Amino acid sequence: MFVFQVSAWGGYVFIINLIPLHVFVLLLMRRFSKRVYIAYSTFYVIGLILSMQIPFVGFQPIRTSEHMAAAGVFVLVQLYSFLQYLRERLTRQERQTLFSVAVCAAALLLFVCVVYLSCTGWIAPWSGRFYSLWDTGYAKVHIPIIASVSEHQPTTWVSFFFDLHILVCTFPAGLWFCIRNISDERVFVVLYAVSAVYFAGVMVRLMLTLTPVVCVLSAVAFSSVFERYLSDDPPAEDDRRNSGSLYEKAGKVRKQVLCEEGLGSNIKSLVSVLLLLLLLMFTVHCTWVTSNAYSSPSVVLASYNHDGSRNILDDFREAYYWLRLNTGQHTRIMSWWDYGYQIAGMANRTTLVDNNTWNNSHIALVGKAMASNESVAYDIMRLLDVDYVLIVFGGVIGYAGDDINKFLWMVRIAEGEHPRDVRESDFLSPQGEFRVDKAASPALLDCLMYKMSYYRFGEMQLDFRTPPGFDRTRNAEIGNKDVRLKHLEEAFSSEHWLVRIYRVKDPENRPRLERKPRVTSTANKHKHKRKATRRRRGFIKNKLVLKKGRRLNRKQRRTGLN
Amino acid sequence: MWSAGAVSFVLIACFSCASVSADGLVNEDVKRTVDLSTHLAKITAEIQLANHGSSRAHSFTLALEAELAPHLAFIGASVKGEEEEDESLELKEKTIHGQSGKFFEAQLPSSLAPGAKLRVKVETVFSHVLKPFPTQITQAERQLVVFQGNHYLYSPYPTRSQTTRVRLASKTVESYTKLGNPSKSDEAIEYGPFKDVPPFSQDAMKIHYENNTPFLTISSITRTIEVSHWGNIAVEETIDLRHTGAYLKGPFSRYDYQRQSDSGISSVKSFKTILPASAQDVYYRDEIGNISTSHLQVLDDSVEVEIRPRFPLFGGWKTHYYIGYNLPSYEYLYNLGDQYALKMRLVDHVYDDQVIDQLTVKLILPEGARNIHMDTPYPITRSQDELHYTYLDTFGRPVLVATKNNLVEQHIQDVVVHYNFNKILMLQEPLLVVGAFYILFFTVIIYVRLDFSITKDPAAEVRMKVASITEQVLTLVNKRLGLYRHMDEVVNRYKQSRDTGALNSGRKTLEAEHRTLTSDITALQARLKAEGSDLAEKVGEIQKLDGQLKDLVCRSCQEAERLVAGKVKKDAYIDSDKNLAGKRQELVSRIDSLLDAL
Repeated sequence: MFVFQVSAWGGYVFIINLIPLHVFVLLLMRRFSKRVYIAYSTFYVIGLILSMQIPFVGFQPIRTSEHMAAAGVFVLVQLYSFLQYLRERLTRQERQTLFSVAVCAAALLLFVCVVYLSCTGWIAPWSGRFYSLWDTGYAKVHIPIIASVSEHQPTTWVSFFFDLHILVCTFPAGLWFCIRNISDERVFVVLYAVSAVYFAGVMVRLMLTLTPVVCVLSAVAFSSVFERYLSDDPPAEDDRRNSGSLYEKAGKVRKQVLCEEGLGSNIKSLVSVLLLLLLLMFTVHCTWVTSNAYSSPSVVLASYNHDGSRNILDDFREAYYWLRLNTGQHTRIMSWWDYGYQIAGMANRTTLVDNNTWNNSHIALVGKAMASNESVAYDIMRLLDVDYVLIVFGGVIGYAGDDINKFLWMVRIAEGEHPRDVRESDFLSPQGEFRVDKAASPALLDCLMYKMSYYRFGEMQLDFRTPPGFDRTRNAEIGNKDVRLKHLEEAFSSEHWLVRIYRVKDPENRPRLERKPRVTSTANKHKHKRKATRRRRGFIKNKLVLKKGRRLNRKQRRTGLN
Repeated sequence: MWSAGAVSFVLIACFSCASVSADGLVNEDVKRTVDLSTHLAKITAEIQLANHGSSRAHSFTLALEAELAPHLAFIGASVKGEEEEDESLELKEKTIHGQSGKFFEAQLPSSLAPGAKLRVKVETVFSHVLKPFPTQITQAERQLVVFQGNHYLYSPYPTRSQTTRVRLASKTVESYTKLGNPSKSDEAIEYGPFKDVPPFSQDAMKIHYENNTPFLTISSITRTIEVSHWGNIAVEETIDLRHTGAYLKGPFSRYDYQRQSDSGISSVKSFKTILPASAQDVYYRDEIGNISTSHLQVLDDSVEVEIRPRFPLFGGWKTHYYIGYNLPSYEYLYNLGDQYALKMRLVDHVYDDQVIDQLTVKLILPEGARNIHMDTPYPITRSQDELHYTYLDTFGRPVLVATKNNLVEQHIQDVVVHYNFNKILMLQEPLLVVGAFYILFFTVIIYVRLDFSITKDPAAEVRMKVASITEQVLTLVNKRLGLYRHMDEVVNRYKQSRDTGALNSGRKTLEAEHRTLTSDITALQARLKAEGSDLAEKVGEIQKLDGQLKDLVCRSCQEAERLVAGKVKKDAYIDSDKNLAGKRQELVSRIDSLLDAL
């Protein structure tokens, strides 16, 4: 199970830290037992070995800080068990002294070890992604590529409610029920819940790890409430006896039962009905969210006409399929990394960067190409052997997730690697705004991304109320309507202009001169020539004069004789 | 009169020997039509054939120029009868020494007598003979093509008189050969009439003109027909499509394509595919999923699919898709006992004036079909038969594979496949499922009923034994309690009927049964003790309580006797009875609680 998760998603780090945490907390709570020891030791060893078989993970589990907690707990558990073993064999006094000394020494040793190894570079420091979990502002400053992904933004309350609905409220209740009857397993659930809530708050996409535990705990909450309020007949002696045998604190329970008997059946039914209503609303909401937000693939867009008929915008697949069938087998495509996997999967073509974002410098280079003017970008593209450039442009249909809207992130990522060539401030208007109309900064109007997005868009009039070249996404008339491309040509644009593909032209055989060739006056030359002809045939300026004759030879011979 | 005329004709023919072939056949009058309005060259010639020889002619020869022959997709000859009924002729390829080209011998239905005349219609279709020139055009340019052919009818027989009419796709003609001062009207060029053309005469005709019709070519199509005897025939066609016109040079501008009507005029946006009228569940997909740009129209006699590739096809661009549908088998599958015949189209319509470079037909017959025999309307290359496995197949379904190159619309004809199939084999797959489930359930039954453990677990064994004993104890105790209740009833009845005999007999049975039950329970208690269970004590307690209960029952019985005998007053009896009942209730509840604890 764990191995599959390791091979699937980097989020396995969460698990490999959560389980040691659970064991550690059990240790602190004096709930540690042989069962836990056996389970954790086997899990850690087998999981470690198997996870190292995944090529991308490799030796990370023993070399990076993220995995050190698991290793530390493993060592701790071994020590603890050893001490327990000793304790069985030693007298009380020996035991106490030894215990305190040993624990302190072990902890210290472990800490020193880890610090030493990190300092000497054996253990890699925390990765940037990890820092961004603790300090939400960290990514924005240091690793823009992480911050650029919308999934990595902190979660808003709205999205909490959108995803979890009523469970937001019932989940703490379930947590409380869990804490009240704590057991070994429930410790895990509680730890999972608490840590997942934190991470979900930091990053939108970690909502994924939160949802299972929310479901479980809310179910606990609902079930315990219904257990109390839905039982119609008042609990008889049987029940009391059962509860007495199940719960240790029989007296307390009996008291509650008495309280409950005090509730009228009206209140009971009212509460039950209210809760059922909430659940009903929850179901409706979930169905709606699933159908609207999570079902429609983001590759195929759909719009609805006034009469309710559906209009499918299949531009992505159109362009990808064109690439698949009508470009060479080995063409390389430059696009922003978001579309990397899509191009690889649907177009079956090589991309420079893709959603596996570990090669930050490469992404920055692509970002730099997009942010530079055409001739600089052309040099970069020649360097990277690019055949086609693919961009996404939503200005015609008003698609907000297009490359112009992502452009500032490209600039920021490029700036991170090439601070001298690309500066974010250059692409903002003097007022510090990012805009594409006449008030846009000259650097933006001249950069490759802008030119490719708006190539021939200036002529296009979408409807009669707006001027030609009106961008529907940004609601602005574009600033540079006469876009000319020199090194690129439009190879394909999808039906609604959503995807535009440009072909990178080969360099011309002989570069054309943009100015007139220089004309040098021939009159002077002629004069000179005449002079020369008068003296000798075939005149070469500054030619070394070689004196012919025998004398030199003779001299040479003489010297040779000497 | 007739014979004299014929003789004189023959004489003339003999004298003008030079202009008559060895067969003595002469093309009296030839009307040729060269249809270049699509991307195909369809050349039809209506020939009035005359026999100027001395013997009856049984066949005649059709000839094709060496330049065009490799591109021949279809050739057909028919005799025009007087009743307006065309009779198609059987063609056989042959060679003529000393002459280049391709030759076919057409068998006449009835031999042609010397001097007789016959009207023959020869239809030929050539693919890929219209060469785009220039070979690369930009998006704004129009597509120009060159056709190179022959001004005359290429024939082994001399031709007395002939005309050639060329139909073009548009008015714009760059150039055309001007043999015999042809006349050109809107979209047609008329050559001739040419008189007395010798056999095998060729004169290069070259026409360079504008042709923006879709130059679509199916570079390969795989048609898979899967027959199921459960009533369905599934057809799937995997199609590789290519625009074989002039290549697109330079950029493709979507703006121009959308805003200017004549931009990319030679490109293909969509086309119509006609499916059989009974086609259902039509799908149109490619590797990356459903292609959303298509429309389906169900007509009376067909189903029309408007196929729009994901992107418009310009010169040199390709696309790939598959289209599939289901047909009810009763329309295509005939049977007589165990003999079946499948009659289906070998190749179906994809678009008008289609050209198929390579066709592969795969016919998947049901598992167990034997004696397979395929009747094709025209020669087709059969490959090695394959086996196909789908769900629940054991020895595989036979697959007939056939391939053919260069097909056009005229090849849409029926193929008939005969085979034998034993109907019992249809039960094979359901029985297979039934058998599998049977085995599954049977193993579960065996597993649950039998004990497969190799070691005995003494603790579990004891626990089970104790459980069974306690179960027995429970039933016995309950039975004993039932006895008391029964006794109560007996007492009540006695109170009303005052029948002492009944009471005594009831008491006796109670005593007897109680004794046996108690002894049974004691025995069980002993066994429990032997097993070392602490439940034995509880059972002992139950026994003790039961003894008290029994006493109470006896006492209530005696009380009742005394009441009936009049020894006690009613009030006192009621009091004591209540008292006894309370005690009994208490005892019963204690026993119950003990039983629950067991």
